[in-house]
Amino acid sequence: MKHNMLFNNIIAGICMAALASTAQADEAALNLQLPSASGIYTKDSQFIGSRSYLLALNESDAAKDKVAMPVAVAAEFEPPLFTRSNAHKYLGIGTVLLVGLTALSAPDEDCENNCPAVSPPRQTSGTTHTSLARATAAMAAATVTTGLLYHWDDFHLEDGLSDPDNQHAMLGAAGALLMLYAVHKSATSAVPTSHAGIAELGGVAMAVAIKITW
Amino acid sequence: MRNKLKVVALLAGALLATSTHADAEENFVSWLIYFGRTKEVKPVTNKQYQDECKDCHFAYQPGLLPAGSWEKLLNAEALRDHFGDNAEIDKDTLQIIRDYAVENAADKSWYKRSRKIAAATAKGPAPLRITELRYIERKHHDIPEKMIKGNKDVKSLSFCDKCHTQAEKGVYDNDTVAIPNYPNWDD
Repeated sequence: MKHNMLFNNIIAGICMAALASTAQADEAALNLQLPSASGIYTKDSQFIGSRSYLLALNESDAAKDKVAMPVAVAAEFEPPLFTRSNAHKYLGIGTVLLVGLTALSAPDEDCENNCPAVSPPRQTSGTTHTSLARATAAMAAATVTTGLLYHWDDFHLEDGLSDPDNQHAMLGAAGALLMLYAVHKSATSAVPTSHAGIAELGGVAMAVAIKITW
Repeated sequence: MRNKLKVVALLAGALLATSTHADAEENFVSWLIYFGRTKEVKPVTNKQYQDECKDCHFAYQPGLLPAGSWEKLLNAEALRDHFGDNAEIDKDTLQIIRDYAVENAADKSWYKRSRKIAAATAKGPAPLRITELRYIERKHHDIPEKMIKGNKDVKSLSFCDKCHTQAEKGVYDNDTVAIPNYPNWDD
């Protein structure tokens, strides 16, 4: 029991480390450099296009335009934290994590093929494993649905199988279908049935799909 | 079951340990074990390339065109008439810039958008303009002309960084687009 706990903690640690490493270092980097005073005289400075600079150059017409139609400065733009594209991404990552948790919570069954009926009857709901499996299948379906809705224009059959978005869509959809099939197969069987391999293959397919477009 | 999990855990650990030193651009295995994001285009890492290009226009990442295109564009003769302008540079600088562009071209990159560009340009003559790539055209086809050509602060698709706020980092996704004068645009 103690060893199992330790092992589970190690797995959880690896998962957290894997997630942490996916963050972009430059997103969190803090720029502590002060702007140089001479910077505003260089051609790249935003000051060059500013109204006060144009007025200083006696370009009042151009300056008037600036007032009439303010330009959104690119540097000021803050990408939204939560977008449709992000929703699809987080659902996909969540699915792969749930696949791992579902596999970890699987009960040890000695028989997986042509198994005799067991007594008491095999539990197909109410356990941690079955709940996690259903949640995984639901999340996989949601991932595929959001992918179809929000990234439909990235999927073009005429680009062939070498196109990474096509590979992503096909592997992701295949992975979700395999997971759904595994859950269905196990949930409708009164005797222990082989389904772990199918579900794991689905999880791997989805993980590869994510990697291809990560 | 437990043994299988131990193997998976060991593999995951090994991948994590090696991924911190991997460069996604080296080869397939490096890309496979690299956990950083490679969805976009590799940012420009050569200062000379950056400075020389930026003298006149946005420094387009080499991953936006295949190697054949850069070879056509970056030679002494072609630079004498670089889309209507004389962009001649000295021989040594040209060599450095061309080598960098060719080595990091779309067909040699593992970044996703570059791979898409490489796939779209694998057949036929190497294109000279990024805006003429089928992939780029398709990504922009639903944007009304008034937002690009008719927009005095954009004028052309060539000015990537006018709308793609993180273009310098090689990021061209929808979430980072802000079209000047059309703040409510949403794809």
